[in-house]
Amino acid sequence: MTVTPLGNGRYEVVTDTARTLAYAARQHDQTWVFIHGQVVVIGPAGGAVSRRRPHDDAALAAPMPATVTSINVSPGQAVKAGDVLVTLEAMKMEMAVTAPRDGVVDAVNCRPGELVQPGVALVTLVPPGRASEGGPQNER
Amino acid sequence: MSLFKRILIANRGEIAVRVIRACRELGIEAVAVYSDADARALHVALADYAIRIGPPPAAESYLSIDAVIAAAQSAGADAIHPGYGFLSENHDFAGACAAHGRTFIGPPARVIATMGSKVAARELARKAGAPVVPGETPREQSDVAIAEAARRVGFPVLLKPSEGGGGIGMKAVRTESELAHAIPQARREAQAAFGDGTLYVERLIDSPRHVEFQILADAHGHIVHVFERECSIQRRHQKVIEETPSPAVTPALRHRMGAAAVAVARAAGYVNAGTIEFLLAGSGDSASFYFLEMNTRLQVEHPITEQVAGIDLVAAQIRVAAGEPLPWAQEQLTQRGHAIELRVYAEDPAAGYLPQAGPLLLYREPAMPGVRIDSGFVEGGEVSVHYDPLLAKLIASAESRDAARRRALAALHGFPILGIRTNVALLREILQHPRFAAGDIDTGFLDAERDALHTRLVRSEPSPEALAVAAAASGRPGVSAASPQPDPWTTLRETRL
Repeated sequence: MTVTPLGNGRYEVVTDTARTLAYAARQHDQTWVFIHGQVVVIGPAGGAVSRRRPHDDAALAAPMPATVTSINVSPGQAVKAGDVLVTLEAMKMEMAVTAPRDGVVDAVNCRPGELVQPGVALVTLVPPGRASEGGPQNER
Repeated sequence: MSLFKRILIANRGEIAVRVIRACRELGIEAVAVYSDADARALHVALADYAIRIGPPPAAESYLSIDAVIAAAQSAGADAIHPGYGFLSENHDFAGACAAHGRTFIGPPARVIATMGSKVAARELARKAGAPVVPGETPREQSDVAIAEAARRVGFPVLLKPSEGGGGIGMKAVRTESELAHAIPQARREAQAAFGDGTLYVERLIDSPRHVEFQILADAHGHIVHVFERECSIQRRHQKVIEETPSPAVTPALRHRMGAAAVAVARAAGYVNAGTIEFLLAGSGDSASFYFLEMNTRLQVEHPITEQVAGIDLVAAQIRVAAGEPLPWAQEQLTQRGHAIELRVYAEDPAAGYLPQAGPLLLYREPAMPGVRIDSGFVEGGEVSVHYDPLLAKLIASAESRDAARRRALAALHGFPILGIRTNVALLREILQHPRFAAGDIDTGFLDAERDALHTRLVRSEPSPEALAVAAAASGRPGVSAASPQPDPWTTLRETRL
């Protein structure tokens, strides 16, 4: 495979079987590449950059000031990673707050129609099988 | 002919750019307004004059009637084009323009007020003979009275908070047996969401299409419709793909719907461009349609109408506002071919449609036959958190629906946008979905097909080619990147041809 810079962010990629035009741009330690009609973001280690840290509780907060449009869960309910917990609206857009991991809803800290600020967990989750009033689970 | 000398565009982004271009063609000077977040935006660079109207929050800039009117006065603008969104459907703003001697390029303030009230608009449409979705707010709100109303309206019904909007707290009830449980629950939800448990009972239209008609009316009593747009590919509040003609509309149905749209506009005393939205149940000659609402402004998706009818709606708006008669009669308007609009949003469908803000490190619009791009950004620009994340509209036109669909796909394939996540991959999946390709769409399409569409958005590891390009771009050693070589295109650039 040969990659030839053509200038101005353009690259020619030639393999044994095909020739294609690609585009790339760098910001900080990430490289954005457009090739075969797809965008890939590549980190310094050469792997694709994931969009959101999967076990981050920040995922349970609004990413920006937003209005709560619906609450899809109630305390005590078991949820799976990726389940939509709350939907928000901001910038005229609807956004879903999804469960970052499997768990049980411990508390819902917002109401429909409420304007919420970033940094506050809208829903708190506890690990599956653990009652919210129970103490820390022992490592087994 | 005396149109205006100078028009102020009370908007930003792609629509401000669109209106500025129309002004240029008509020989009218364009005045841009901007917030601090937009000081270096494309619409500011393109306008003849640009006036700062406030800090980034829209409430203190683009939504400030005082700031916009003051800008119009200091710029000496004799007319104001509101674009869409912001102040475009604000009757106080339309009134303020008139009060300060500036022509508002849109309908009269009282028409905006009437059609802005869902209840008043529905009543007006009903009296004008347009079908409306059966529904009522029972005066007595007991369980028994609401159940009776549901029987009168006919199942399936929707119980909606009377004070609500935006689809919040709506409850579908398919059979009478579900009512006993659903009524108190809907009342509780309405109370929780809006502080008022009053319920509106409406017939539920299953899997409707969203089909709207473009209206244009002059100040001399002439009204035409410029055919339909199908906007069924939408998430709540937000259209994603629009097209015209609608795959569901036959000539006879188009005639009936167009006549109803013109009748509503006439009853409203409408002047300038507007859109009548309908829900369409079924397709073809026997389909039923219901008046939904009227948008008293230019629509985001107006370009598909322009492409298929071969007209310039913004220029027509300006001419009509200056008192000219409509340039065409209904019989002179025809549809030719098919047009599809894709809304390219700065949002990440794989992360719950999270809006994205950031720099456009690389942004190259495709240039090819039959493709029009309306955008408000250029490479090196910045997408701000303060406003709607619409980056660009890609409009593909061709002789048939399938040709337009393929053309849209090809255009996306050559539209690199780097530095910010967009919905382009989702747009491509929708265009290639068998149901979309067959024209089998309704307003539930994106929800119903969500899993199928999203599964395909999950990315695998980057391809070796992508990694090689990234390595070449970051100048990392140890990959097979060739050194820059003379390239015929770059060398030709220096040759005079």
